[in-house]
Amino acid sequence: MHNPYLPYPVRIAMLRVETEDKNLRTFKFEFLNLGDEEKFAYLPGQFAELSVSGQGEIPIGIASSPTEKGFVLFTVNRVGQVSSFMHNMKEGDVMGIRGPLGHPYPLDRLEGKNLLIIAGGFAVTTLRSTITWMLQPQNRPKYGKITFVYGARSPGLLLYKEEWSEWQKRDDIDVFVTIDREAPGWNGRVGFVPTVTKEVCPPPQNTAAIICGPPIMIKFTQPVLEAAGYSNDDIIMSLENRMKCGLGICGRCNVGPEYVCKDGPVFTLTQLNQLPKEY
Amino acid sequence: MTEYIVKDKLTFLRALASSGYNLIAPISMKNKIQMAPTDPDKVDLDYLNTFLSPKSLFFPQTEKMMAFHKDLTKSDAFVYKPLGLDQVKPSVIFGLRPCDAKGLSVIDKIFQNNRFTDPYWNTKYEPSVKIGLACLNPGPNCFCTAVGGSPFGEIGLDAITLVRGNGFGLKTLSAKGEEFLKNTSGLEIGDLTGEIADLKKKVEASLPLPLDLSKVQGATILSIFNQPHWKTTADRCLNCGTCTFVCPTCHCFDIQDEQDEEGGVRIRNWDTCMSWLYTVHGTGHNPRPTKTERMRQRFMHKIKYIPMKQDGTCGCIGCGRCVQLCPVNIDIREVAKQMNQG
Amino acid sequence: MMSLEEISQKIQASAKRLLTEGKVEVVIGYRRGSIPMMAAPHFARTEDDCNQLIWTSFARTNLAGYLSKFSGKVAIVAKGCDARSVVGQVVENQILRENLYIIGVGCLGMVDTELIQAKEPRLYREVTEDITTIKLFGADWNTNIVKEEVLRRNCKTCLSRTPKETADELIGDEVQPLPNDNWADLKALATKSPQDKLVYFKNLIQGCLRCYACRQACPLCYCPVCFVDETQPQWLGKSNDEMDTLTFHILRAFHCSGRCTSCGSCEAACPMDIKLREFNRILEEEVQKEWNYVPGLSWEQKPPLTTYRPDDEADFIK
Repeated sequence: MHNPYLPYPVRIAMLRVETEDKNLRTFKFEFLNLGDEEKFAYLPGQFAELSVSGQGEIPIGIASSPTEKGFVLFTVNRVGQVSSFMHNMKEGDVMGIRGPLGHPYPLDRLEGKNLLIIAGGFAVTTLRSTITWMLQPQNRPKYGKITFVYGARSPGLLLYKEEWSEWQKRDDIDVFVTIDREAPGWNGRVGFVPTVTKEVCPPPQNTAAIICGPPIMIKFTQPVLEAAGYSNDDIIMSLENRMKCGLGICGRCNVGPEYVCKDGPVFTLTQLNQLPKEY
Repeated sequence: MTEYIVKDKLTFLRALASSGYNLIAPISMKNKIQMAPTDPDKVDLDYLNTFLSPKSLFFPQTEKMMAFHKDLTKSDAFVYKPLGLDQVKPSVIFGLRPCDAKGLSVIDKIFQNNRFTDPYWNTKYEPSVKIGLACLNPGPNCFCTAVGGSPFGEIGLDAITLVRGNGFGLKTLSAKGEEFLKNTSGLEIGDLTGEIADLKKKVEASLPLPLDLSKVQGATILSIFNQPHWKTTADRCLNCGTCTFVCPTCHCFDIQDEQDEEGGVRIRNWDTCMSWLYTVHGTGHNPRPTKTERMRQRFMHKIKYIPMKQDGTCGCIGCGRCVQLCPVNIDIREVAKQMNQG
Repeated sequence: MMSLEEISQKIQASAKRLLTEGKVEVVIGYRRGSIPMMAAPHFARTEDDCNQLIWTSFARTNLAGYLSKFSGKVAIVAKGCDARSVVGQVVENQILRENLYIIGVGCLGMVDTELIQAKEPRLYREVTEDITTIKLFGADWNTNIVKEEVLRRNCKTCLSRTPKETADELIGDEVQPLPNDNWADLKALATKSPQDKLVYFKNLIQGCLRCYACRQACPLCYCPVCFVDETQPQWLGKSNDEMDTLTFHILRAFHCSGRCTSCGSCEAACPMDIKLREFNRILEEEVQKEWNYVPGLSWEQKPPLTTYRPDDEADFIK
């Protein structure tokens, strides 16, 4: 019987400090055992429990795309016991990953649609996965126009600079990267995500939005989309909550009858409107 | 399904114990009746119900899930290896009350849900043969009939028995029960249909009428979630969690790592939604910041969410343990009535 | 002797008067529970609410812990031990004296339902009581049990049954202590070797579920985050490991030493019937012997273990 609690052993193949405040680190993992990578078959939007033996587990969205072979990528914010411990680990250290967990973004249902992808702060992780996946030659034709809005407080807090700089050069995706306030050396956009969204969002016809970001960003971006005429079925969000098992068993992460881990983390606004706002 | 007459209780219990299965049955421990592995001679059948629910047989308060070592000379240092999943001798559980058996089946649908199977639960629950003992004399706080159950309820059981003179009447309820009992000595085929029906009717009549939960079923989640009574009831709630620990359908757990110089284990422990720590985020934000939200979660889960997810089956099975043990008398029947008032 | 009904009526009258005169916003007391042998904490704000207030021997939970949840003026119905906990809340700055009104009740002791059921194990349908007796009614039988024979252990040795030192008003008769020695059984424990004491305490906590109901029911346990819930660092394992469990109980007892009023709320809340007060009583006696201090009898004096004086004659802390 498959044991969904048992992590696949992985080695930290590469570590990268992602932000100037050094609170975010990206971990590139390679599976220790042959065949585990195939078992860990995931899609953009899913997450995994990162397991540090003797310390515990944390649920983190998968930042790599399944089209990137040989490794999986996670960006971890230093918050609690496990993430702090991980920030002191070294390349070559052994830990574990358990998953994939949760549902991916509804990539099938979104086929044929234009996409507005909105990210705030370090919640960009699973959207890095999504965009990387969608820009693959075999996937790109399935979708219409792709617009990506990404904001952070300051240039130093933007993740994945290499990736979005490359995307900016492409003509099959419109990339709008913005920071909250003017900063020395920054020549790009300045302004909050909701404002930029209002300015650049494509017409709602046949368009869906995927939003990931801090609650305050979502709170102010959601009305912008509603005013622009986006239907609640086409506003897709990813939720976070305290989790342990990731399997819809241990309790705690539920919002109403739905477990964020098993039934989410991806929900449409239509679904969320039927659920308690504070869970 | 077959009906049997069992002439002598002890002979039957001894037959169960020598069936190649572990006998688990009610025994007296520290003045409390508990389900535990036992000799057939020590089984105590003079009980209203076990003090704690039998969930701990399959889902113990603390369970080691996996272990690792730190010996860097070996290639699997720091790699977790599962514990407790080896094939063990299965159990025959005798004396489950029908309410508790139903409770176990509610948990079973969560531990073996539409996406995942919990192997730690599954390896213990699946192979076990569950033999119920019908309630002929329910207690003052019993209310299985109020929440869709019966003192002769069959859900979650492989067979049900009722005390009948010096022995039992026995009816098999599943293929597993049928198979197990057909080889058990001391059973005579009999006809209990009329007897069971009469007793069932009589005992059910002594129990409370069904609670009207029709409005809870019809109402939206939000309309019940936002009812004003939550705050009033929670005023006296201590968030002590006793209700959750004694509840046969409460199944939440925490996962913890423990380690020493040589290695460590990953453990799961019973947890409770009454605890502040249960939902607090790493950032310090807590979506259930006060006792009102925490208490509401428990009742919403039992009376609204579980029925939504389990085809109308109520998450409360009416065993009465929480009613009996809540130090401040928060009575789930009263809360359910308030929820249904809209 | 005043009857339970008379005491209840006087509590109701007092509550109505306090609310009508605007002296308080809420009166915390007890009302009849939904099942036999159970009282529910009750928060009276209206006349109807007041009519539900009762006095009973099934009032096991100490109400003092609720006080700090209210910001306005509050009255509380309190027996001796509870009144001492209320005073403790003031002394420890959890609530303000001026926001508080104590309706003290002379208490003949609360009963232990376990003892009642040991005396009468048959299934009861209904239970009634008067000031001295519990009456159990079964399907075709009834039994009278004398309350004094089934008192909780803490009530048998209680020295402050009437909160006359601190109550704003007193209801019911002044009740004298029973002639029992609170510390008698501790003497045997004191002579045990450390190893035997450990065995004794390990036996005591057998069955502990780590639910922390004892802590939640205790008016002294008001820490915003309990040490067992700390995660960074995590002080204690959370499994049913014997030493972790014992550490929780011993540390909690130390936190409560010189503050515990033997109200028995912890034992009443414990679903496993663990005799939690054994931990507290030892320290209670120590503090009383060492500093001649009994918590909850004075509005001014702080618990000895929470005070520090530079001129302390002991040198352990310098």
